[in-house]
Amino acid sequence: MNPHLLTILIFLPLAAAMLMMLVPSTKKTVYKYIALITGLLQLLLSGAMYWLFHPKGSGITEERLYQFVDHVPWIRLDMGSLGLLEIDYYVGVDGLSMPFLFLTAFVMVIAIGASWDIQKRVKGYFILLMVLDMAVMGVFSALDFFLFYVFYELMLLPLYFLIGIWGGARREYAAIKFFLYTLFGSVFMLLVIVGLYFSVTNPDTGAHTFNMLYMMNPANYAPDSIFSAFTQRELFGISARLLGFIVLFVAFAIKVPVVPLHTWLPDAHVEAPTPISIILAGILLKIGGYGILRVCFSIFPDAALQSAWWLGLIGVVSIIYGALVALGQRDLKRMIAYSSVSHMGFVMLGIASFTVEGTAGAVFQLISHGFLSAALFFLVGMLYDRVHDRDIYHFRGLASLMPRFTVFVAITFFASLGLPGFSAFIGEAFVIIGAFNAEGLHGLLPRWMAIGGSIGILLSAVYFLWTLQRMFFGQLRVKGGNAWVAALSDASPRETFVMVPMLALTLALGVCPALALDNINASVLALVELVTGVDH
Amino acid sequence: MTELLPNISNKLDHVLAGLPMLLPELVLTATFLTGIGAGLFADRYWRHASFAVTTVGIVLAGVCSAWQLALPAVDNLLFGMATMDAFGRYARLLTAAVCLLFVLFAKANPGFNAHRKKTSDLYSILLAVHIGLNLMGVATNWLMVFVAIEMASIGSYLMVGYLAKEARQTEAAMKYVLFGSVCSAVMLYGLSFMYGFTGDLNFTSAAHIQGLEGTAPLLVATALLFVFTGIGFKLSFVPFHFWTPDVYQGASTPVTAFLSTAPKIAGIALLARIGYAWPADSNAFQYLHTLILVSAIVTMLLGNLAALRQTNVKRMMAYSSIGHTGFLMMAVLAYSSGEFAILLFYLAVYALMNMGVFMLADYIEARTGAVDVDEYRGLGKVLPAAFVSFVILLISLTGLPPTAGFVAKLLVFSAVFNNWQLTGNAGMLLLLIVGALTTVISLFYYFKVPLHAFLRQPEQERKTLPAHPIVVGLALLMAAAVLLLGIFPSWLMA
Repeated sequence: MNPHLLTILIFLPLAAAMLMMLVPSTKKTVYKYIALITGLLQLLLSGAMYWLFHPKGSGITEERLYQFVDHVPWIRLDMGSLGLLEIDYYVGVDGLSMPFLFLTAFVMVIAIGASWDIQKRVKGYFILLMVLDMAVMGVFSALDFFLFYVFYELMLLPLYFLIGIWGGARREYAAIKFFLYTLFGSVFMLLVIVGLYFSVTNPDTGAHTFNMLYMMNPANYAPDSIFSAFTQRELFGISARLLGFIVLFVAFAIKVPVVPLHTWLPDAHVEAPTPISIILAGILLKIGGYGILRVCFSIFPDAALQSAWWLGLIGVVSIIYGALVALGQRDLKRMIAYSSVSHMGFVMLGIASFTVEGTAGAVFQLISHGFLSAALFFLVGMLYDRVHDRDIYHFRGLASLMPRFTVFVAITFFASLGLPGFSAFIGEAFVIIGAFNAEGLHGLLPRWMAIGGSIGILLSAVYFLWTLQRMFFGQLRVKGGNAWVAALSDASPRETFVMVPMLALTLALGVCPALALDNINASVLALVELVTGVDH
Repeated sequence: MTELLPNISNKLDHVLAGLPMLLPELVLTATFLTGIGAGLFADRYWRHASFAVTTVGIVLAGVCSAWQLALPAVDNLLFGMATMDAFGRYARLLTAAVCLLFVLFAKANPGFNAHRKKTSDLYSILLAVHIGLNLMGVATNWLMVFVAIEMASIGSYLMVGYLAKEARQTEAAMKYVLFGSVCSAVMLYGLSFMYGFTGDLNFTSAAHIQGLEGTAPLLVATALLFVFTGIGFKLSFVPFHFWTPDVYQGASTPVTAFLSTAPKIAGIALLARIGYAWPADSNAFQYLHTLILVSAIVTMLLGNLAALRQTNVKRMMAYSSIGHTGFLMMAVLAYSSGEFAILLFYLAVYALMNMGVFMLADYIEARTGAVDVDEYRGLGKVLPAAFVSFVILLISLTGLPPTAGFVAKLLVFSAVFNNWQLTGNAGMLLLLIVGALTTVISLFYYFKVPLHAFLRQPEQERKTLPAHPIVVGLALLMAAAVLLLGIFPSWLMA
């Protein structure tokens, strides 16, 4: 086995992007084939890694429990009294990140499939897509905070252009709004990173370090440093550690997104082209959840425990608010965007419960939502490609016109609303169980929050089924008349080819959740133990 | 007079011993004279003569500075006029690099080439400014400071007015001269106070420090404020920034690029030198640092907020450079004597980014005639290489990874944070927060360029004119350097 498997996985798209730069821009078809081959190679590679991954490798705080680790010194600068600047190229995988690497590779292939008919500036499009791919892979595997931040920010730029150039009517607004929201969160994250850097020393060399694993061990903090757990320094009247946690949390919560930091999401989703919506919902929202677990909880476990009630509240509000707003949408894509807000609320509720069930459910929900939202946006894209309209009230009785498409929609909708047998059910059920148990276990969350989550499931059934009824059942009537009827052809072989694996995966995960849970479990146990201090 | 006679040989020995330290300046002086001669006589036979002389001279001076880097620091050069330490030498080297870029830039600029006077006089002026800037970075005597600032300023006035044809350009030059003279006068007045308080013009001397301590704090603060005016004019921080946008917009682009880069390097070096000349518990130190702190915060905010409303690219970049000055002042505050690596790194990266951006703006103007951001519509397709490098440089100016601008920003944040942790000065925390906030603000206006160039469609097909490729070539190199230094900053920091 090649020891640099993970590095190859991360930088493969960069190599592809460089290759694309060499291809003259007259050969328009070459780019998508390079992209597809890269995507498939990544899928193969991450699949192999998933297969080779040892489920006992819990990772979280211990380097020896990470797998596929690559750890080489990167930047060493002598800064005089500031000490030696120690930045490593440090990547590794544990149960928390492994599923996301596979998810990223999978969703990327779907997105490349969805970009097959892009005509406008093909070269730039696929190069940016590849850079984005690299950055996302990097975020999910970086264990050095500097490296993490570099990849994290590197995602913004390709996305800005992908939304801004290839997007819909209000794309400029959506692109810059997305960029500013995320940047606002991340510049303050940078300040916390600097604070952490000066608080933590590498026990081996005595130098300050950006190593995230060292940041997770309270013993590595200098006693008088700002983020030291022992001295509990205060800033603006609240504990510095709590403040650091809040700043990091806000940065990631914008990405998740949670109510009330979600307002960039509907705009970005609606204006982005279909493949980018798929990537946004399928992968980028997951970075928020992953970041909260990997960074906020692991580095500031005490502050996380302290804020459990608020995190749970944010989760419940997101679930109910997202569902209610989704109920009121006319635009199908907007409705799905708000359903994402609602579904990501479950993630917040699950991680706020600080129980093994809840946290595992949250991670599972992240993965499941990755597949399902990709499928949902792909389906909306299919409709939009045909008639350039997404208004729910402009369609009626589509079932008779597009039977195969309707089947896909129905399955995806049922899967999304949490029908047993599909992956979303497992995720949401675990979250609710975790939230319910939390009161008895350590009293962090009141029971009504679990009930709020259950109401959210009910509401999601309402908006999905109502939409299904409005658009697909009844007499065939579409706004554009016969022109539309002619344009609304059923799912093409390419589209079927993309949809089937996604639905198969959510079904497989629903029937046999152990496929994912086995690999997640050890890490979730270690994380919950780290935060609550209770040995399970 | 006669009583001085026995000392003459001693004094001459001291002067002669100090001269080798000023080798780069001597080389520049020789080049200055040769350059004038070449402009008058040799350009007729070979039109690149004065260009060649200037380039060789600057490179030679740069090589001398680089060679002197390894030498030990020399205090009390020429009777306490200057201190030649590594910081000053690096600043000198950086100035030489910017001057060299300017020479190439001006050579390729159509405005200068079409001009009746050609560029030979410009080169001579540049060399004089270069000497002034070099001295600014090493001066430890108030008179030397004043002479250096004036030398750089008078040259700059000429550069701004060099091509003045339209009323707007003449106005810019005139404004610059008037504002500059007033600031110089105020500074000189402040210096006279300083001399009166202490009886010593060498601001690092013990007598000077003692004298300041023995004076009423209010008087010291007033005198410092006056001195600050002169430096503020060169650095263009708030509230001495009024001239900047008009002058930057009115001057020809190479001059603007030069004025927004080189004087800042020297000015920041000077500010750092004055800022750390006095013991940290002295009144003067405290006043000066409070002054710098307040101006840094206001400069960052005002520069970036005002840039938001600009439509002219050069004017926008003028305000952006004001914002960066604020950031540089923040770096000065975090700098403590002897540790200049971060400050120099930021200055070097800033020089790269800023020169690069102006080169591209000039190139784009030469190719398409676009000077406003609105006119960049759809140009990303027409000039892809230029705009891709433009975007890279702007990302770096914003301070996003993986560019050198990000590393520089992170290093400054680290230094300020460390300072705050050591001193507990709440102002430092405020600086950090303002620095982070202005990063977000700056994104708004920097991204107007890619917004128009890539996201919007052109209204009609744009005709392009030919332009000298050297500028865009240099800018491409600089964009690549910014990327590489972002990933491997140790290449520069070692």
